[in-house]
Amino acid sequence: MKDINKINSLLVATLLVLIALAPMALAQSTTGTVNMSGTVSKFVEMNSAGAVTLTGNSGGGITTNGTLNNPLAVVINLGELGPANTNSFVTASVPLKLRSNAAYVLSMASTVTSTGTTANRITSADVGFGLGSVARTGVGVNTTGTDTNATSGDPTLPANGSVNATTGRYNFTAVRSNLSAFAASTTAMNGSFIMNAVPRANSNGLTVPAIFAVKPQFYENGSTTVSVTFTVTAP
Amino acid sequence: MKKSAISIPILFCLLLIGGLSTAPAQTFDISSGGTPTITGNVSGSVVGSSSNTSNLNVVIDFGEVGPSNTNPVVKVVVPIAVRSLAPYRVTATVTGGNNSNPQAIQRSDVGFGLDNLRRMGFLSRTCNNSDHIFYSPFDNDPSSNVSYNAFGRATYPGDLGDIGSSTTILSGPTLSFLTAGRLSINGYIFDAIFTMTPQFYASGTTTTVITFSIASGPNVPC
Repeated sequence: MKDINKINSLLVATLLVLIALAPMALAQSTTGTVNMSGTVSKFVEMNSAGAVTLTGNSGGGITTNGTLNNPLAVVINLGELGPANTNSFVTASVPLKLRSNAAYVLSMASTVTSTGTTANRITSADVGFGLGSVARTGVGVNTTGTDTNATSGDPTLPANGSVNATTGRYNFTAVRSNLSAFAASTTAMNGSFIMNAVPRANSNGLTVPAIFAVKPQFYENGSTTVSVTFTVTAP
Repeated sequence: MKKSAISIPILFCLLLIGGLSTAPAQTFDISSGGTPTITGNVSGSVVGSSSNTSNLNVVIDFGEVGPSNTNPVVKVVVPIAVRSLAPYRVTATVTGGNNSNPQAIQRSDVGFGLDNLRRMGFLSRTCNNSDHIFYSPFDNDPSSNVSYNAFGRATYPGDLGDIGSSTTILSGPTLSFLTAGRLSINGYIFDAIFTMTPQFYASGTTTTVITFSIASGPNVPC
């Protein structure tokens, strides 16, 4: 009788196992799915495209230079801007590098403050400004993209300024050729997307020099500080 | 009395075994192989069952794959369980994922590979006369094999662009003992690896669906 009970228990256990397995055995499928998605947000950035070039200066110098592919934080001392400086212009060229995966807008805002108190002090209109030649070169750059330069280019070009026949003061006369046009944030350039689908580690991009110039003149003596902020957006 | 005491359970067992054998049990099964994982993501996620007896139904969100994600790659590992009572093949089919803008994400921007085939348990069948084969170019971890084409765009040995309609990615001999039913101990698990390199893609969102299937494969001996 004990043997029979043992056999019975074994069979019942087997039965339970089979019962447990039965529904699982029917739970089969020969297909499965993986759904995937990803998002790409608009992206823009601006960095230094290298060292600043300062020419025509008397004294002064580059206090904090631009470092390639690092955030732009340049400090320049233009030196003597009075008639003791006999150069035609004191010019600073600041290389910018822009990168984006969407159409971009480069804006600029500036402030000019002087210790002078008369109309003969250096004002924002006395600081010439323009963006130079745009370069879209290198692997991964959208070389067929187009850009619209809203400035008149190099402010020292003869076409961009002249001596005022009435006042005798040199004026930067072309469209957006001096900082008075950028007292508030104003578009300096815009264009189509800059980078093709390449990793951010690709260091190429759009480069353009931001050119600042002052014509040495009989300004009121004192010191002047010019602060410029560039902003790039993807509207 | 003694005979009936024994015969009733035996009868039940026989009926049940008979029922199982006549039930429409399949020779092949594919299911989740465990919890999927994601690394290198920004605002991404992956959702799938942790149980290897659940259906394979995984949702991957790679998250941000534009340049604001500064990680070198976004990597997703999806364990997939397979069971069979006969030689098998696993195929993959892709839908979606292409874009008319060449700078937007394409199928070829998603690296795809297979790795780490392993036994599930004691009812996993070991065959000494044939190998389980990951098919080229999917026989690698794409996250470890990123290269760049002449345009500077990231590429992989295998990607979703290499998958057409029902492309074989894995085959081999019988996987299971006794049953290919959905048990946790009677088949094999492999990792399907998906990789994306954050790049200056055109902005937007891309959706892709991959369907894995298991069916009869090359008639190889166990």
